[in-house]
Amino acid sequence: MLRASSKLNQSGIDIKAVVDGNVDSMIPAGPSLASFAEALVSRSSNLERLRSNLVDEVGEQGMIEAAGTAANFQRMVRIADAIGIPLDDRSLSAADALIEELDIKTFHSASNTYRFD
Amino acid sequence: MYFDYQNTGVGVPDRFADAHQRAWTRLASPGMWWTSTEKIDIAAETRNAENVRDEYRNSLSPSIADPPQKVSSTLDESILEAIYRITTDPARLSRDWFNTLIERGVKDTHYVELVSVITTVLSIDDFHRGIGIDLEDLPTPIKGDPLRRRPTSARDEGSWVNTVPPAQLDPVDDDIYGGRDSAPNVIRALSLVPPEVRALEDMHEAQYLTYAEMGEFVNLDRSLSRAQIEFVAAKVSVANECFY
Repeated sequence: MLRASSKLNQSGIDIKAVVDGNVDSMIPAGPSLASFAEALVSRSSNLERLRSNLVDEVGEQGMIEAAGTAANFQRMVRIADAIGIPLDDRSLSAADALIEELDIKTFHSASNTYRFD
Repeated sequence: MYFDYQNTGVGVPDRFADAHQRAWTRLASPGMWWTSTEKIDIAAETRNAENVRDEYRNSLSPSIADPPQKVSSTLDESILEAIYRITTDPARLSRDWFNTLIERGVKDTHYVELVSVITTVLSIDDFHRGIGIDLEDLPTPIKGDPLRRRPTSARDEGSWVNTVPPAQLDPVDDDIYGGRDSAPNVIRALSLVPPEVRALEDMHEAQYLTYAEMGEFVNLDRSLSRAQIEFVAAKVSVANECFY
C-alpha cells in the first residue's frame, strides 16, 4: 500500500525507511510519524513528548489519524501472526523483490507466512 | 456512557466513538463460543498482559517467561498463555505452539474468537494510549448463551485454522466479505467465526480506512495523506516484526 501510494502520488518515497530509521522516507512529517508509532508499540515513556511533537507537525486531527491507524495495525499484525495466515496469492509476485529490498527474512513470523526456497 | 470522547479534551471524530461503542456492546454480549463473562475475563487478562510485556518479549524463549498474577476466574491455563503471548509477543507464535494448544484441548473455534476479543481490546486500548487518555472501563456482561454455530464450508486454505472462501459462505454469512468475490487472508483469518469478520471490518473502517477509501491513493479526505497513513501502518508492522 505504501509503495502504491508513492507511485500514484509520484512522491518518490524511499520504502527502506520502513525498516531503517536512518533513511529519509521523503514523507512529510515522516520522522515524527515513525517515532510516534514506534513509541506506541514499544510502550515508550517518551510517547507523550512524541505525541506533542507530532501534533505540532500534523495537527491534532493528524495525530488522531495516526493513533487510529497504529491501533488498527496493532490488531491486524496479531491476527496475522496468531492465525498463521499465508501471503495472499496476488502478493506473491511482488513479494520476492520487496522481501529482498527490506531484508525482512529474519522476522520470526516469516516462516509462518512465506516459504523460502 | 462508554467512549464519551467529547469530554476528553481531544477532538476525536465521531466515527471512533461509534465504532468503539459497538465493539464494547459486542464484547459484553455472548459470543459464538465464549460466554459474555468469559469474554470480559479475556479482556481483563489482555490488559493484565501489559504487566509482563517486556519479560515475554525479552525472554530467550517465550515459553519460559513467568506469567502475571491472573485477574480472572473462568479461563484455564492454556487460554491464559495464549492471551499473554498473543498480546505481548505475536511475532514468536508458531504453528508448533498452536498445535500444542489444540492438543491441550483448545477448540479452533474458541481460539479464533479469542484472537478477535484480544485484538479488539488491545486495539481500542492502544488508540487511547496513542491520543493520551485513560482506558475505558470494561463493560458489564450481558446474560445469554453462546450461539455455537460453525460454518459448514470452512476448509484448509493454508492458515493454522480453517477459513471460509468467499464463494462458499453459508447464506446466513454471505455478507461478511461485503459481497466481494475475493478477500485477503487477513480478512478471511477470523471467518471460522463469521460475526468476528463483521466486527473486524467495523473497527477497521473507523480506525483506518473504509474499503472505498482503500482504493483511493491520491484524493483521500483525511487529516493525513495516504502515504502518511501507510507509513504509520508499515512502521507498526515492522515494530512487531510482522512479516505478513
